[in-house]
Amino acid sequence: MKDKGKGMTLIVKTITRYTVWLIALYGIYIILHGHLTPGGGFAGGVIIALALLNIMLAYGREFTRKWLRINLLHELEATSAIIFLIIGILGVAISGSFLANFLHHGKLFNLVSAGTIPILNIVIGIKVCVGLFVVVWSLALFHIPKKGGTE
Amino acid sequence: MIIYVLCFILLLVGLYGVLTKRDLIKIILSLSIMEYSANLFLILFAYRQDGVFAILSKGEQAAGMVDPLPQALVLTSIVIELGITAMLVALAVRLYQKYNTFDITKIRRLSG
Repeated sequence: MKDKGKGMTLIVKTITRYTVWLIALYGIYIILHGHLTPGGGFAGGVIIALALLNIMLAYGREFTRKWLRINLLHELEATSAIIFLIIGILGVAISGSFLANFLHHGKLFNLVSAGTIPILNIVIGIKVCVGLFVVVWSLALFHIPKKGGTE
Repeated sequence: MIIYVLCFILLLVGLYGVLTKRDLIKIILSLSIMEYSANLFLILFAYRQDGVFAILSKGEQAAGMVDPLPQALVLTSIVIELGITAMLVALAVRLYQKYNTFDITKIRRLSG
């Protein structure tokens, strides 16, 4: 490990390239089926964040910064919170109470059903995913001095 | 009844780690164990013999289910634990930057 921030060996990088998309797909499945099965926005968001962390661990900081555009993630996190608030206030405007389910409910056990709940699940998933990733990213940005040396 | 005692023993394991370990990372891990024992206690309170989980799925009859309220509470608690752990790790990293060690007996003097 001569170059810090360059990531791990070729084996780890190759395996990560194949598995990260499967992990992310599983997270998206958990989010989209949040109103039917156990799971939902929080659990799926954590799984997608772990996929992003896999990339960060395997490929290093420099690659991830170029590939993900961290500033965009900060804006996405704030935006998802605002969208959640807007949907809640729309509930006040249309049905009279905060977060009221104003859309058509649809049939039970269908994928497209339950009104605003899948939308809220997706918004929460984005928020949790980006938030968790940014937390660990900020921890990784600390500069650790060498053992015994003073900074 | 025995499971509650075991849960309390798990809490004591975490407390032992917090009180006796010198390494900051081990202290943070012990604190996590204490939090887990609290979560486990709430979940065990909500458990019911032969209960199903509180989500109705296709082709299933509504039956006696476990109490979903503590589970929602524990989900919130897990999120708060995540925040606490992230903050503690950030503080530990800052201390490592200043003192070059995680040993709390060596972190004594002011260091610029």
